[in-house]
Amino acid sequence: MTELASMEFHPQPQAGQARPWAFPAPERGKLDNGLTVLRCHRPGQQVIAVEVLLDTPLDAEPKGLDGIATIMARAFSEGTDKHTAEEFAAELERCGATLDAYADHPGVRVSLEVPVSRLPKALGLLADALRAPAFDDAEVERLVRNRLDEIPHELANPSRRAAKELSKELFPATSRMSRPRQGTEDTVAGIDSAGIRAFYERHVRPATSTVVVVGDLTGVDLDALLSDTLGAWTGSPAQPRPVPPVTADDTGRVVIVDRPGAVQTQLLIGRIGPDRHDRVWPAQVLGTYCLGGTLTSRLDKVLREEKGYTYGVRAFGQVLRSAPDGTGAAMLAISGSVDTPNTGPALDDLWKVLRGVAGEGLTDAERDFAVQNLVGVAPLKYETAASVANTLADQVEQHLPDDYQATLYQRLAATGTVEATAAAVSAFPVDRLVTILVGDAAEIREPVEALGIGEVTVVAAE
Amino acid sequence: MGHTATPEAQSGGLTATEHRLANGLRVVLSEDHLTPVAAVCLWYDVGSRHEVKGRTGLAHLFEHLMFQGSGSVKGTGHFELVQGAGGSPNGTTSFERTNYFETMPAHQLELALWLEADRMGSLLVALDEEGLENQRDVVKNERRQRYDNVPYGTAFEKLTALSYPDGHPYHHTPIGSMADLDAASLEDARAFFRTYYAPNNAVLSIVGDIDPEQTLAWVEKYFGTIPAHDGKPEPRDGSLPEIIGEQLREVVEENVPARAMMAAYRLPTDGTRACDAADLALTVLGGGESSRLYNRLVRRDRTAVAAGFGLLRLAGAPSLGWLDVKTSGDVEVPVIETAVDEELARFATEGPTAEEMERAQAQLEREWLDRLGTVAGRADELCRYAVLFGDPQLAFTAVQRVLDITAEEVKAVAEARLRPDNRAVLVYEPTAAEADDLEAAETTDENEESAQ
Repeated sequence: MTELASMEFHPQPQAGQARPWAFPAPERGKLDNGLTVLRCHRPGQQVIAVEVLLDTPLDAEPKGLDGIATIMARAFSEGTDKHTAEEFAAELERCGATLDAYADHPGVRVSLEVPVSRLPKALGLLADALRAPAFDDAEVERLVRNRLDEIPHELANPSRRAAKELSKELFPATSRMSRPRQGTEDTVAGIDSAGIRAFYERHVRPATSTVVVVGDLTGVDLDALLSDTLGAWTGSPAQPRPVPPVTADDTGRVVIVDRPGAVQTQLLIGRIGPDRHDRVWPAQVLGTYCLGGTLTSRLDKVLREEKGYTYGVRAFGQVLRSAPDGTGAAMLAISGSVDTPNTGPALDDLWKVLRGVAGEGLTDAERDFAVQNLVGVAPLKYETAASVANTLADQVEQHLPDDYQATLYQRLAATGTVEATAAAVSAFPVDRLVTILVGDAAEIREPVEALGIGEVTVVAAE
Repeated sequence: MGHTATPEAQSGGLTATEHRLANGLRVVLSEDHLTPVAAVCLWYDVGSRHEVKGRTGLAHLFEHLMFQGSGSVKGTGHFELVQGAGGSPNGTTSFERTNYFETMPAHQLELALWLEADRMGSLLVALDEEGLENQRDVVKNERRQRYDNVPYGTAFEKLTALSYPDGHPYHHTPIGSMADLDAASLEDARAFFRTYYAPNNAVLSIVGDIDPEQTLAWVEKYFGTIPAHDGKPEPRDGSLPEIIGEQLREVVEENVPARAMMAAYRLPTDGTRACDAADLALTVLGGGESSRLYNRLVRRDRTAVAAGFGLLRLAGAPSLGWLDVKTSGDVEVPVIETAVDEELARFATEGPTAEEMERAQAQLEREWLDRLGTVAGRADELCRYAVLFGDPQLAFTAVQRVLDITAEEVKAVAEARLRPDNRAVLVYEPTAAEADDLEAAETTDENEESAQ
């Protein structure tokens, strides 16, 4: 029983003439204090994005004090030599600015966004925060308590709980990567202002830091502004720290984090693989997209659009840490949630999809679609100053050339179906995947064991 | 009088033109040639407030069906064609509207218009039982993922139900109930489409690197022959007394990681000066890390791990001022509640300081700059003001209206509305000493549901 429509139909229109667009090239410079500066003028972007990278990898945290880089990052906005914590927050908000800071494996990132009219004032506050943070005893103690309060909330979140378990499974216990980025209840409790100050003095200095400034800089004398603000930051020169190579055990296995009564199972299936320094990266990006980039990719085509097991499953590659010599690594993973009764069937289908890619390969149509989307969305993706600044900062953090993103688009376009298939298969080999399931073990254990995707163990959610 | 904030956004030099096709479709065009992209946004004047008893969630389920093919488009072709053209599509459903949007490379604009017209005019050709069954399962999994399987996940639903009385069009949220999702039939979906998906019940905005004349010609070509139809029932009246008149309260005992106090205050409807004043009041009280509640609860008393206020602007019913406080350690809820009441009462008596006004206005101004800083954000705001207030141009002057509000107006709305007898309170008490479950979807926009 079809319903006739009374509108006039037209053939699908053809694309017009594409207008040129390129990922912006930043201008690179250095302040007298050694701070590296990348700037990029983006007409019309009235909210300026400023990203600062500090060379304070989590690996540099003192033994037993996991989370100290996180608390330091947060403490930057809790008072300086000019303002108390409350005054500092008030001054920032008076600029209409936001200031966020977080610590990850490669280092600390501090992100400022502010309307261009108030950029000078906000840059002054940012400079104060980096140059002369107060690290007041009482404020640090409050941040520590606050962090301790956050941990139970994170453990209760199925996707964060899964990520924690995957890190623990993949990386050797001696590696910082095996442990939560922001520390555990045991380690955070031992952090105090003296420790933060020592960590800061040892690792934070302009000579090993970079600032990225992006937005509509019309009429802004950025050199003078930077010299008056971040230029006043001083510190001794230092060599960048060497970082240990990343290793992981990807023996195929399953860990169920037991949450009795859960109506869904959170899946996180992962291992580590090449980062952006590897020649395979563009092919890996294409292959991963074909597998699980969107709801018309292979995984969702079956799991969502055919079976209705999930709201969506995604495959992704996320750089963990890179090194100039190419010894870095990326996390390659598939994540999503499926309803409890269909957990076994969903995983069965997921493995079938992976075997299908390995067996029959991706099609030219899938590869073309992936290239057209990934290359085509670039002008949309990089419309805002913040998105451009973030990618420029990632490039610096990953020791990549400033034109990396611009040339990546050409390399994606030059990558064929065979290479994309090979990359997808080696990124997600069916017998080398660590599967974390956060869900009701009593319901899902048996069906998962029957799949033969690896030994199954059950741990408490704690 | 506190604000010295410069009106950074004002209209920012942005302009829009308005047009109307013979079938009633309203069209808004706004040029911006800085980046070769174009945003297409289509708002249908239908949301969960139009749903009837026993069919909650239908507007959102229907939104999913709009991505399952139409007359000229097979299966998930809407997504495939847009993404294959380098575009980014989605749709969302809220209380008051359903929107569909795609940002495209500028040279692919015509494709997006063809696609939107195709489903507006011919969805029922493709709508079938199989697609409905599949998307029903997807939406039920969306509900589990975003609400049922996370701690505090159903707080918004519970507070909404408390705040708007049984039978009120906003009593239920867009996600709907599992039972109603199960009950929705193909005939319900068809009737929904025939009732609400008409050109004269929609606004189409197109923003970006466009040639207005050419764009309008395409709109006429693709949408022009879709017949208008009337017969859409007026939504049920959403008006309520200004003040609830008593404190409504529900205690939830669940396996959550910490005690929490959440509350919804009944506030003026969107589109009024009083609503903008309320936005500023909530920002001073609970927006960001220099707000009164953050300073009191998180910094000084150290009784909360997080404390904040947000505004859910609604045009067809009173807006909601949304308070969310998660307690620290073993702190009990009455301690939080006493402090909140003290701060709100003090604010109602004193009003904001000049500096607080300046800060709140600067923050709201930046939020507006962010929203208008992308073609997609601008297209959505133009539709919003056209659908809800009849005038898309109001999008460009919204920030100025916020900057025009005086401290006296902020004090007045706080005095009148931010009172214990004008709120619904939801208290969470953890059931297990060692919490081992769940978390709130803090980053998701809980008043809307999206297709992907």
